Amino acid sequence: MKVLPTHPLRLPRLRTYVPKPTDPKIFWFNSERTDIVQEVVRRIMERYEADESVELIVNDAAYHEMRRLETRTDEGASRGLEYWRSVIRRVGRTSWEGKHETLREITERMAYDVAGNFDPRVYRFAARVVPSLLTGVMKPSKLVHTVLSRGATLEDLVRGEGPIEKIRRLQNKGTIVLVPTHSSNLDSLAIAWVLFREGLSPAVYGAGKNLFTNPIISFFMHNLGAYRVDRRIKAQLYKDVLKTYSSILIERGYHSLFFPGGTRSRSGAIERHLKLGLAGTGVEAFARNQSQGIHRPVYFVPATINYALVLEAETLIDDHLKESGRARYIIEDDEFSRIERWIAFFNRLQNFETACVIRFAEPMDPFCNPVDDDGCSLAPDGRRIDPASYVTWRGSRAVDYARDAAYTRDLGQAIAAKYISETVIMATQLVAHVIFRRLVRATPGLDLFSRLRYRGEIAIPMDELLPELGRARDALAELERAGRVHLSPLLRRASPDRFFERALAAWDGYHQRPLARRTGGALIMEDPNLILFYQNRLRDFAIEIAGSHPADQVAARDIATMETLR
Amino acid sequence: MSLAVGIVGGGGFGRALALAAARNGRRVVLWSRQPRDFQSTQIRTTTELGDLEATEVIFMAVPSPHVRGLAEELGHHLDGSHLIAHVSRGLVGEDLLTLSELLRRVTPVRRIGVLAGPLVAAGLAEGQPGGGIVGTMFPEVAMAVREAIGGPRLRIYTTDDVLGAELASAFVGMVGVALGYAKAAGYGPATLAVLATRAMAEAVRIGQARGAEERTFAGLAGTGDLIAAVADDGRPEIALGRALFEGMSVTEAALRTGGAYVEGVAIAQQVVEYAHRHGIETPIATAMTKLIRGGANPASLVAELMTRPARRE
Repeated sequence: MKVLPTHPLRLPRLRTYVPKPTDPKIFWFNSERTDIVQEVVRRIMERYEADESVELIVNDAAYHEMRRLETRTDEGASRGLEYWRSVIRRVGRTSWEGKHETLREITERMAYDVAGNFDPRVYRFAARVVPSLLTGVMKPSKLVHTVLSRGATLEDLVRGEGPIEKIRRLQNKGTIVLVPTHSSNLDSLAIAWVLFREGLSPAVYGAGKNLFTNPIISFFMHNLGAYRVDRRIKAQLYKDVLKTYSSILIERGYHSLFFPGGTRSRSGAIERHLKLGLAGTGVEAFARNQSQGIHRPVYFVPATINYALVLEAETLIDDHLKESGRARYIIEDDEFSRIERWIAFFNRLQNFETACVIRFAEPMDPFCNPVDDDGCSLAPDGRRIDPASYVTWRGSRAVDYARDAAYTRDLGQAIAAKYISETVIMATQLVAHVIFRRLVRATPGLDLFSRLRYRGEIAIPMDELLPELGRARDALAELERAGRVHLSPLLRRASPDRFFERALAAWDGYHQRPLARRTGGALIMEDPNLILFYQNRLRDFAIEIAGSHPADQVAARDIATMETLR
Repeated sequence: MSLAVGIVGGGGFGRALALAAARNGRRVVLWSRQPRDFQSTQIRTTTELGDLEATEVIFMAVPSPHVRGLAEELGHHLDGSHLIAHVSRGLVGEDLLTLSELLRRVTPVRRIGVLAGPLVAAGLAEGQPGGGIVGTMFPEVAMAVREAIGGPRLRIYTTDDVLGAELASAFVGMVGVALGYAKAAGYGPATLAVLATRAMAEAVRIGQARGAEERTFAGLAGTGDLIAAVADDGRPEIALGRALFEGMSVTEAALRTGGAYVEGVAIAQQVVEYAHRHGIETPIATAMTKLIRGGANPASLVAELMTRPARRE
C-alpha cells in the first residue's frame, strides 16, 4: 500500500461532464471549482485589505508550516520547507503590494489544497459497487449474488431512521448541513451509503487529511466531493481559508456534512460539548446570502450513527485512557487500516441483525427553530417566522462574526441535545452498562483508573444479571416513549437473555480481548476498558435507568458524573 | 429615531428601569397588569403585551414564576430581531434552568441577556452612581442595554458567561435572605463575612457543575452584588431574612416586605435538590431550606454549620 501515491488521483476525462437539471447540486462542483477557489481568495484578500497585519499573517502561516514540515523527512517536506523559507525572506523586504501578492499566492495554494473534486463516474461506481464489496467482505460466499442484487445484505445491516421524507423535500428548498455524531472512520461510508439509498443528495464534506493517507479511501474521498481538512496545520490563514471555503459551498447550495465533534469519540460517549467548527459556517453562509438578498434557507440536520460494534473501539478507548490521548490527535495506525480487523468486524456484524442505525433528527434552521414540511421556520407557538429576522439589526442584514459565533454556540448546544434524544441504544451498550454498574457497585469510592484494574475479578451471577438487564431495558423503553432516546429493534423486542447472548456473541471473536466470559452460573468481567467504552453511550441515562436498589443508584450517580476527557 | 425600550413588569424594578431609560431620552413602553402613571410623556404604560412588538430591547422585570406565562404570550408578537434582557434572580425547577434558557425555549428570541449586579430599584430610579453587568453572548444586547439605561451615572459592564452571571445573581438573592436572618440574630461583620464567602463557594461549585466560569462569581454579578447585600442596600431579601428570624412564616414575611416576591426563598430548595443529584456539598443552602421551612432552631443550625470539618479553601 505504501508504494501507491497518496495525493489525490483523478480519472482522466475526454469530454467535460455536463450536469443534467435533475442532478444534485454537487454534480456542478467541478465546473465551479476554480470560481469557488477564486472567491475564497477574493474574500480573504478583502478581509486583510486595509489590515496592517498582512506580514504577520503570512509569517504566522510560514512559521506553523515550517514547524510542521521540519518533523518530516520526505522530499515533499523539504520542497515545502524551501518554499516557506523563501516566503519569509521575501515578505520582510517587499512593498505593501508585494506583501499582499504573497498573501494571495499562499491563500490560493491553500484553497486549491483544500478544494475537492466530484466525479459522477466515481459516484455511480461507488454507489453500485461499494455496498456490494462491503457485503462481500461480510460474507464472501455471497459476493457474486450481492453484486448482482446490489447489496441486499447491507440494506439489512445499516438502517436509516427519522424524518427522511421531510429531509428529501427540504434538500430542494435550501442547503442541508448534516451534522452526525462521529465514532468510527466507517461513519463517512455508512452515512454516504444511507444518503444514497434513501434518495438523499450526496454531500460535500471536510474529511480529515489522515483519511487521505489510505490511497483507496483517498481516491473515493477525493472524487466524491470531500475536501481536505488537515488538522495538523495550525496557521490562522489556513483556518480562515477552510471556513471561507465551507461557507461559500453552503451559500451556493451544496449540501454539506460535518462531524461537529471534530474527531471520533474516544470514550464512546455521546458527544456533549460541540464547538461546531466548520459546521458553524452554515450560520455565516445564511447571513451572507441574506445580506445579498439571496433567501436560501439553511437546514441543520443532526444525526446519530449508532454501532453495535465499533471497529476501532480498542484503540479509541486506550487512547482516551492514556495521558497521551490528546497528543495522538490523529491516529493512523488503528483497526481502520488493518484489513483483517475489517473482516472480523463484518463477520461479527452479519449475525447481529441491525449492526448500524443512522438516525436523523428533525431539521432546524440556523437559529435552532424547527421547520415545517415546507421548510419554513417555526416559533415555539407554531407560527411561521422569518429566519432573516435573526440576522437583522436596526434594519439591515449583515454578517456579524461575534453575533454569528453566539448563534453557533447555541446551535452546538441544540445539536448536542439532539444527539442524546436521537441516540439509538444497542444491546452491546446496555449489556456493557449493566456490567459496568456492577463494577462500580463492587468498588465504592475508587476512581475510574483504579476500577479499570479489576480484570477477571468481578463475577455477576446470571440469575441477577438477566433480571437487571430486563429492568434497565424497560426503563430505557419508558424513556423512549417519552421521546428521550431510542432503542435498537433487537433491544426493543428481544428477551433479556436473547439480547444478552447476541451482545456477547458480537463481542466474542471480534475484539482481541474477551470483554466478559461465562463460568458456571456467573459472568466474569474480563476487559473493563472495552466495557467502559460501550457503556459510555449510556452515561446520560445512567441515573434514570438505575432502578430502585440504593447501591445501583449510587453507582449510577458515579457513572453519570465520571470524568471523561472526551 | 431609535425604537422604544420595552419593559415587562410594573413592579419596583420595572418602574426604576423605565425612569432610567427615560432619563436617557428614550421612549419607553411599559407593560403592567395595572395601569401606571409616570407623569412622563416618554413613558407609556400598557396592559397589552402586543404593544411591545415595536420595541427593540425588552427588559423582563417580573418574578420568575410569572416569566414563563408572560414570555409565552409575549412571544406571539416577537421574532428574531428582538432583544430581551431579564433582571430576575430566579431559577426554574430542579435542573436550575436559568431565565435566559427558559426565554429561549418559549419565545423565538435568541438574542437574550441578563442584567445583574448591585442594582436596586431605588438607586436606579434616583440615578445614584453605580454599575451593573450584562451577561450575553450577543454584542448587540449589551449595546442596547447600555444605550437604554447606561450613562455617566450607571456603568454597564459585560460578560459572555451568561450562565455564570445568572447563577451568581440567583445565589446572591438566596444569601441575602441568610444575611438578613444573621443580622437580625445579632451576628457581627466577621460572621457575615464567613457566611457570605462560604455561600459563594457553594455557588461556584454549583456553577462549575453547570458549566459556568468561576471568575464570573468574583465579579459584579457575584461578589460585587454580595458586598451591596452585606452593606444592606435596602433589598427585599434582607428584610425577608429579618422577618424570618422574628418567627414569621415565609408568607407573613413576604407581606411585611411589601408583598414583593423574593426569589431567594425558592432557590434554596432547588439548589439542594440539584446538589444532591450531582453529589455537591451545599451546607449553607441546606441550612437555608430548614430555616425557610420554619421551626428550625437558629442555635442548632449555626452549630451544625460550625462543627463541619473545615478544609482547604
